[in-house]
Amino acid sequence: MGTMTTKTILINEWRLLAADRILRIVLPLFVVLFAYALANGMSWVRFQEHTVQVVRDGNVERTDALERELIAIENGSEPSSPFRDPRAANVMGGARGARSVALEPGPLTALAVGQSDLLPYYYDVSINTNETTFLQNGEVENPLNLMVGRFDLAFVAVYLLPLLVLALSFNVLSGEREQGTLALTLSQPVSARRIVATKLAFRALLVMAVAIGVSVLGILITGSLGSSEPSGRALLWCAALTIYALFWFSLTAWVNSLGRSSAWNATVLVGAWLVLVVVLPAAINIAAGLFHPLPSRVEMITAQREASNDAVSRRSELLARYLEDHPELAGGAVADESNRAALAWAATEAVNQRLEEVSAQHQIRREEQSELVRRYRFLSPALLVQEMLIDAAGTGDARFARFQSQVREFADQWRSFFVPAILAGEKMSAEVLPSIPRFQFVDESLGDVTRRSAVPLSTLTILVGLVSVGAWVGLGRVRGAG
Amino acid sequence: METGPESRMNNESEVATADATQKHAAAADGTSTPVLEARSLSKRYGELEAVAGLDLRVDPTEIYCLLGPNGAGKTTTIHLFLGFLEPTSGSVHVMGMDVADEPLKSKNHLAYIPEQVMLYRNLSGLENLAYFSALGGKESLSTERLSEILVEAGLQPEAVHSRVSEYSKGMRQKVGNAIAIAKEADALLLDEPTSGLDPQASNEFSELLERLKERGVAVLMATHDLFRAKESGSRIGIMRYGRLVAEMTTDEIGHADLERIYLDHMHE
Repeated sequence: MGTMTTKTILINEWRLLAADRILRIVLPLFVVLFAYALANGMSWVRFQEHTVQVVRDGNVERTDALERELIAIENGSEPSSPFRDPRAANVMGGARGARSVALEPGPLTALAVGQSDLLPYYYDVSINTNETTFLQNGEVENPLNLMVGRFDLAFVAVYLLPLLVLALSFNVLSGEREQGTLALTLSQPVSARRIVATKLAFRALLVMAVAIGVSVLGILITGSLGSSEPSGRALLWCAALTIYALFWFSLTAWVNSLGRSSAWNATVLVGAWLVLVVVLPAAINIAAGLFHPLPSRVEMITAQREASNDAVSRRSELLARYLEDHPELAGGAVADESNRAALAWAATEAVNQRLEEVSAQHQIRREEQSELVRRYRFLSPALLVQEMLIDAAGTGDARFARFQSQVREFADQWRSFFVPAILAGEKMSAEVLPSIPRFQFVDESLGDVTRRSAVPLSTLTILVGLVSVGAWVGLGRVRGAG
Repeated sequence: METGPESRMNNESEVATADATQKHAAAADGTSTPVLEARSLSKRYGELEAVAGLDLRVDPTEIYCLLGPNGAGKTTTIHLFLGFLEPTSGSVHVMGMDVADEPLKSKNHLAYIPEQVMLYRNLSGLENLAYFSALGGKESLSTERLSEILVEAGLQPEAVHSRVSEYSKGMRQKVGNAIAIAKEADALLLDEPTSGLDPQASNEFSELLERLKERGVAVLMATHDLFRAKESGSRIGIMRYGRLVAEMTTDEIGHADLERIYLDHMHE
């Protein structure tokens, strides 16, 4: 009996929605929006992949040019310039031989561009790499994109999907009451709970078919479904989308259970959307900036200039202090003040130390901001789901922080390779090139992403449970059409 | 041997009539369980007592007409039988089941036609009937049978597939009647069923009630229509301020008597 009733309601819903002009307009509109968002995300992925390829080609070209010149010099040619002599360790390890390191687009970047257009995804690592390197983004980006974010699937899911849910469901019970069909319906052996639950389940199927269908299409097109890890990320993505949509469906069920008019329901639900999706995230963002303001970049640049001027005027003194700190490097050519490279390195190191102090302040504030957002994100399901979506896509803060951390380690390896040679005044040769450190990004595992998503996912699940219980209780009180 | 729809309807009608005769006999000797029964039924809205200590019994083949002014508690009584409202005290029973204990099961035995039959405007009369009868447990009825029921309820055959948005009030009422017929319920609850209908439609409705009565259905009808109550009813109850102030069988009184009795009670 119960199954037949559910089937009956589902068939009727299909007939009603098929005959409803609003659905015929709204649903295709959302299909177009989803498709456009996917196309937009894929266009970003193609751009990022192209950039990464250009960066890698640059590495090969630089290494080849160095090798050609070193071989030519060994065969008796003169260096192209005394200041660009590739045999000098500070030249080979400096800007001329710098190694560009790049972060491949996240596995599902086409679905959620996330932070990938805001945070640098490639760096030039050399002995000159310091904290200012990590604050720069070499790309020229559309300011509008930077301000509002890209129109990707994550944006559509977080901001617009709730509106689709509300448009289809705000009057799921009140509409029946207002058009007078509820009395006849409830005079049959069926409860308001079953009516509402079935109607919402039908709408949820429609909405999720569009949202998940376009997502899976995007994953298949970008070829990310090949290995097990992207499949796991895709599952996380779908789980996040589903639980978020369920939150909005349960909210509409609860609001409908209050027995008010469709106009009242619409006002309350749009108000909830405004508060939860727009106002609260913006307020938390403003609070983070207000209570934990970041030191300005101007301050960073000024500190760099001051430190640089100071270091240049005290190069000899700085070199002596550096060698006191690193006695294993003392001896040989470094004692000779004519070793300009060693003196320059000492100055560079002094500047780096000063910058690290300023950068540490910057980092502390950033962490304080993140902590504030982490603490108050539970106020907004939109914040929770956005975090999950971009994390599943591999375009969240965590993956970029991991990349940056590995680039820092690589920069340390680079310095450890070249600085002793600079201080010792060693000459480099073509044989050295294969032994120069190489960067290999170790991506995060699915386990890392799943662990991070566990808290927001379970929070949203609990929230959906609570709202659903409220709706269940409220609908249990709906006995008649009054 | 006849096998067409008319033959099937005739056969069904004969079986129903035989069944009704048995039910009527049982009701007459008081041994049967009443189809509808209210026991000391009360419903309060704050200070307002909409139904006060109502005792009521409707047996198979009986058409019980509830008369009374607006606000007398007629619709509230019907809504209490449907489980739309919870009694403040007392109880309502359908086929012996307490509606409070078995709210959904009891509705298997009830058909309801409200004063204004409102249907899904974007669906046809046939689609509306298919939906509501399936909800009522008659999901196996074929499209042909549903069309026959609509025609039996008085809807023009050419209107069966038209959208309800094109229907008049009378046509919607006929779809409501068809929903009640299709359900083959034991009891029919009617709330001002002839309100706003033209005389011909009202007459057709009376004929429908007669047919349902022959099939053994118990009918509880709230109405202001004294003429229709006298014409169709078996028993009449007059309600005022939530109380049943008078109860009589239609055999006992004439048209003029009913009007006089009614007015007398209204002026008390």
